[in-house]
Amino acid sequence: MTEVIATQTPPLLHKPSDKERKYDRQLRLWAASGQAALESANILLVSSGAGVVGVETLKNLVLPGIGRFAIYDDEKVNAADLGVNFFVDESYLGKPRARALTELLLELNPEVQGDWYPNGEVKSLEPLISNDEAPAFTVIMYTYPIKPEYLSLLESYSQKHKTPLVAIHCAGFYSYFQINLPGPFPIVDTHPDETATTDLRVLAPWPELITFAEELTKDIDNQSDHEHGHLPYVVILLHYLEKWKTHHDGKVPSTYKEKTEFRSIIQAATRTTNAEGGEENFDEAVAAVLKTLVAPSLPSGLKEVFDYEHTDPDEQKSDFWIIADAVKKFYEEHKCLPLPGKVPDMKAQSEVYIKLQTIYKTKARKDAAEILETVRATPGGDKVDPAEVDLFCKNAAFVKLINATGGGKISSKADRLKEVYVYHSPHTAQEVANDEMAEMTLQPLSLFPIYLALQPTSHRVDLNSPPIKAEKILEEVAKLVSDADKNEKVIDAAGEVARAEGGELHNVSALVGGMVAQELIKIITKQYIPIDNTCVYDGINSRTQVLRL
Amino acid sequence: MLKIWSMKKEQQKAENEGAAAGKKKKVTAAQLRVQKDLSELSLGLTMRTEFPDPDDILSFILYITPDEGMYNGGRFSFSFNIPPSFPHEPPKVLCREKIYHPNIDLEGKVCLNILREDWKPVLNLNAVIVGLQFLFLEPNASDPLNKEAAEDLRANREGFKRNVKIAMSGGAVRGEVYERVLI
Amino acid sequence: MDALTGNITSEQDRWKYLDKIRTRPGPNTNRQVFDGSNVVEYMSKMRVLVIGAGGLGCEILKNLSMSGFRDIHVIDMDTIDVSNLNRQFLFRQADVGKFKAEVAAEFVMKRVKGVKITPYNCKIQDFDEDFYMQFQLVVCGLDSIEARRWINSMLVNMVDEEVEDTYKPMIDGGTEGFKGQARVILPTVTSCIECQLDMHAPRAAVPLCTLASIPRQPEHCIEWAHVIAWENEKPFPKLDNDDPVHINWLYQKALLRAREFNIPGVTYSLTQGVVKNIIPAIAATNSVIAAACCNEALKIASNCAPFLGFPDNNYMMYSGNDSIYTYTFKHEKKDDCPVCGNLARELTVDPTWTLKELVDSFATRPEAQLKKPSIRAEGKTLYMQSPPGLELQTRPNLEKTLVDLGLEERQEIGVTDPAFATVMFKFKLKFAIK
Repeated sequence: MTEVIATQTPPLLHKPSDKERKYDRQLRLWAASGQAALESANILLVSSGAGVVGVETLKNLVLPGIGRFAIYDDEKVNAADLGVNFFVDESYLGKPRARALTELLLELNPEVQGDWYPNGEVKSLEPLISNDEAPAFTVIMYTYPIKPEYLSLLESYSQKHKTPLVAIHCAGFYSYFQINLPGPFPIVDTHPDETATTDLRVLAPWPELITFAEELTKDIDNQSDHEHGHLPYVVILLHYLEKWKTHHDGKVPSTYKEKTEFRSIIQAATRTTNAEGGEENFDEAVAAVLKTLVAPSLPSGLKEVFDYEHTDPDEQKSDFWIIADAVKKFYEEHKCLPLPGKVPDMKAQSEVYIKLQTIYKTKARKDAAEILETVRATPGGDKVDPAEVDLFCKNAAFVKLINATGGGKISSKADRLKEVYVYHSPHTAQEVANDEMAEMTLQPLSLFPIYLALQPTSHRVDLNSPPIKAEKILEEVAKLVSDADKNEKVIDAAGEVARAEGGELHNVSALVGGMVAQELIKIITKQYIPIDNTCVYDGINSRTQVLRL
Repeated sequence: MLKIWSMKKEQQKAENEGAAAGKKKKVTAAQLRVQKDLSELSLGLTMRTEFPDPDDILSFILYITPDEGMYNGGRFSFSFNIPPSFPHEPPKVLCREKIYHPNIDLEGKVCLNILREDWKPVLNLNAVIVGLQFLFLEPNASDPLNKEAAEDLRANREGFKRNVKIAMSGGAVRGEVYERVLI
Repeated sequence: MDALTGNITSEQDRWKYLDKIRTRPGPNTNRQVFDGSNVVEYMSKMRVLVIGAGGLGCEILKNLSMSGFRDIHVIDMDTIDVSNLNRQFLFRQADVGKFKAEVAAEFVMKRVKGVKITPYNCKIQDFDEDFYMQFQLVVCGLDSIEARRWINSMLVNMVDEEVEDTYKPMIDGGTEGFKGQARVILPTVTSCIECQLDMHAPRAAVPLCTLASIPRQPEHCIEWAHVIAWENEKPFPKLDNDDPVHINWLYQKALLRAREFNIPGVTYSLTQGVVKNIIPAIAATNSVIAAACCNEALKIASNCAPFLGFPDNNYMMYSGNDSIYTYTFKHEKKDDCPVCGNLARELTVDPTWTLKELVDSFATRPEAQLKKPSIRAEGKTLYMQSPPGLELQTRPNLEKTLVDLGLEERQEIGVTDPAFATVMFKFKLKFAIK
């Protein structure tokens, strides 16, 4: 055991900065790197209609400290706003709603900048988004109903600047939001479940690990109970695997039957004559057999990355794709991914565990160095940050590509509706029932009817115009999906949409504002996994569904 | 179907009845469970409980006088403090004497799996006292709280036995003076 | 301006959008229980209790006020900390140190005209049944399982089957990182918090001996400093998790221990996280869960749409880590739930009986037939058959009468018998001279 270093100078009193203290609860989720990304984000909200869901979303982004935001809203604050929107008050009646929302949002976090439009200088949406001098928007969101001309302005901005565009529609108990990403969106830092990340490579050990295990187990049957009871379970597995191989032509257990047989061997090797009447480390080894004795394979998320065909040559030159190509080369050469290097906690003596940890870490560093070398040899690879390579290697098995089939171009609203129409037109119904789009069909639990029923009110900007009737909604829906107007679920949904008359329910907007904010945080920080690409919410049954539309 | 939220309620009547029903102390789930556990304790001849306040059944003292093994001849006491969250959380148990034992540290903390990481609400107080009793019959050297005692036990069982005798009679082992616990 | 607000913002104008939904039935509305004509008045009189004015609580107060509730009460014993400001949006830097309930109530009342919010800066345990009886609905935004279990047991035990208004629906929200849940509990009717305890994964504890002799992880070093080093050295009389000086002491200790064993990864932030059991929390998730709860509150109060709770689904799970995944389901009530599966039955006794007569009566009582019953009231041990010491201490009570022992009408007693492992009866006393 390591001796105590007697004369250590105690570390200086650590004082977390004011910002670290304020943001402590979120830094534990996305760390300083995620926070830095948020703080440099600039978000545009184009708000109309009842105007609640947009400001509720911004509230959840201003609090964690986005850099800046801008709100464009043509409306003036009226009495109805006071009953549904928390970020207006009596003193703003008759004044620009964008101003009320902006000023009251800014009170939430003095570190955030915010602007409102139209104002004295910028009088409409067009000059606001065509000003090339102004800082670019990181994300743009707009809420339905929206004027068609605004929508096309935003869509062309999004295409030109490759800006993610988020559309949100809330009416009464129903809502959906849709995220349009400008091309494939890879995420490395996906934060997989801790338990899923264990990768111990007991079926493909390297020389250092083999030697270590052999040394610890060379006289396993004569070890004291204390030593035997503290062998790390990885070492136990490696030892009995070697024994197994000598009786099985050098092959490891591969079928379920063989694995359970192997498990029984370890179970039988557990000592029960000691004071505890059993051994925790052997229990751990037994429990780990089935999930650890797995031959390396290529996870589907990463396979999608490896197989991805670029349509945009610029995109290919990004750091992510340079590293991905290097990892692919590594995989093809070694038939396995770079070692993540993390060792889960297991029963063991402190110093033995630390040695084991070091063996894994050293191998992981070696693999990462090999990949970095490939990266450096790639044109444009000299500027890649080694920390990014490390992160990729640690998370390789969980890397995810969102919007892989998005193909770089955002289709217009009209095109998208046509696509939906095609999916649901009678002559394709057969295909639809069988393919991955089946969830979009009008099955009992599908929320697609809600999405459909909301479409006809997408551009009814004037909330004072005569309310739209359910019959009219169904008529419009039928134009998108033939016969859908006869479906009971669609008829119900149309009735609910008509009941709301374009109004928002505060709770529903707050809930959807929370979901959209989570999604924007994921997109801005490039951490966790965003939806692909539409989420429908049903506030009557408290359910959501994610659809690819 | 409940109609609690429906409007036309005889609110007056309900409030009056509510007031009459109020104030009286309800029996909490934790207390009732402790009551049940206590009435099921099987203490045998080697154990005894003492309740400083019989109305407070959440704190009591357990005495163990092992009649075999190397701690035979000693009497050990443990304070039990049962949290209001029982049986969701385990009782807090401390040895009240400073004793020489690999699984009990000098502060009285006890390393018994079911008192911490392996506690489950289906376990009862009897399981705890059986576990404590077992510690005196089979002290466990492999993962100790008192490292010196464990080393002694591992290295030389006879020497360890001698040390136990010395410690139990109030002597010093490895420079540490222990409390006299002989009957 | 005053003239403007007075004239223009009539209540109907102001609640235009809300009223379209809550006063008019939709295709999903159960018309047998819905009466749109008096929803507005009923909701404005309904008294709602909010428990917790933290991350969820701030959102809940806002949402309820924007949903037409006018008489809201809120309990929270905590004061505002700087680490609350990233999500508890009713608080500002200048409010740090003030009571959460008070600041939150004041802010919402100022912003939303006509709503009355009554704050209580104290623990829920400071109130008794009389207090909780005044509410028609309880919405919880708590971070501790303990507090949830307490209020749950209070609401379940308050139910008097014959009095409709003693059923208080409870809506409970909880979050952790990008995940959360919202659930509705109709006490004694549907699965309660206690029935659902398995939904909360307990914090995995590390064996004391690992901490003491074979630490391997930075968390082991921190726990060692927390559980063992602090107790041994007692650098300050009482550990205050919110005092940076105390946390720093633990951090230094953990760091030295980590160096001794060559364990990397002990940081101040991790120390704080382990010692305080910090759960990551963000505004966005609180927004989702609080709104899900308040959406149910609106539906329960107005019947304008079916709500979670009865007869089918009562629980919505939400996870935003990997895409958005929600699961809305029915958590079944447990027959053997120690809280809602074990309600007090009425027991008619003669107050002039001695305790012995009461004990003996259980042998012949058809629903009990207990040979060796032990009996307690809350805070009062009447007679315990075992363990022997306690039997001896309580034996004198057998000769006293129930009145002499201080028992009162409607008081509860707990009865157990080792002969029946599962028996834990609760009785509510009813006095009748025989």
